[in-house]
Amino acid sequence: MLAMNFGGDGEVVISGRLDASQCAAALAFLEKVNGTVSLDCRGLEYISSAGLGVLLKTQKRLAGGGGKLRLTGVNRHLEDIFRYSGFDQIFEIEPAP
Amino acid sequence: MTATLTAARSFPRSFDSLEDIFAFTSEFFGRHGVDRDLLPTVDLVLEELFTNMVKYSPDGAPTIRLEMGPAPDGVEVTLTDYDVDLFDVTEAPDADINLPIEARKPGKLGLHLVRRLVDSLQYEYSTERRESRTTFRKTGARRPA
Repeated sequence: MLAMNFGGDGEVVISGRLDASQCAAALAFLEKVNGTVSLDCRGLEYISSAGLGVLLKTQKRLAGGGGKLRLTGVNRHLEDIFRYSGFDQIFEIEPAP
Repeated sequence: MTATLTAARSFPRSFDSLEDIFAFTSEFFGRHGVDRDLLPTVDLVLEELFTNMVKYSPDGAPTIRLEMGPAPDGVEVTLTDYDVDLFDVTEAPDADINLPIEARKPGKLGLHLVRRLVDSLQYEYSTERRESRTTFRKTGARRPA
C-alpha cells in the first residue's frame, strides 16, 4: 500500500511501499509538483527499481525547469538502494536521524 | 534447504501478483522467525526477478512457482519459470550508475541491484523442458558495504 500527501510545508509525504504496482499512481502525484520539492521518506518502507524510475523521471523533469527533488528522512535500507543505484550522485539525500 | 520447512506456491504471471507475493514472504518470515530486517531486501529481489519474468516472457506458462526455505541466518528462494527462453540473470550487464542525470534513463537497475543485495544468485536452464530456475540466498551475514 502506498500513500502520498502534501505536508504542512509544501513537502510531499510518502509512506508505504513503492513497488511496480504503485508506480503509475506515484508518478501521477509527483507530476503535480514543480520547482524544488522535498520528498519526506520517513514512512517509505520499500522501493524497487520501478519506484526508482518514478523518482528519476521526476528529477529529470524538475531539473529541466531548474528545480530538484530532495529526499529526506531516508532509512538505512533505502539509503543502500539509492547508493547502489547511483542516486546519491543525482539526488540530495538526507538520512533519517 | 530443508524440504519439510520449504513453502511453495505458484503465482499468476502478472504484476498484480506482487501483493500476494509480499504477503507470502511476510507470512513465511513470521512462521520461521526470520530476521524481518531482511524482508525488504528479499521482497525487492523477488519483485525484480518476478517482474522480469512477467515482462520478458509474456508467452510463458500462466503461473510462476516460488519456493522459499530457511537458510542459516536467512532464507533461500527459488523461482521456477516454465515454457520460457533462456535468459541468464547472472550474466545481464550492470547499469552505468555514474552517468550524469541527463543521460540516465529509467530501467536497467533491477538486476544490477539484485546482484548487489544477495549472498548468492544461481541460474539453471533446461533446454528440453524450457524451464528456468533462479535461486538466491539472503542472510544477515551479507550486509551492504
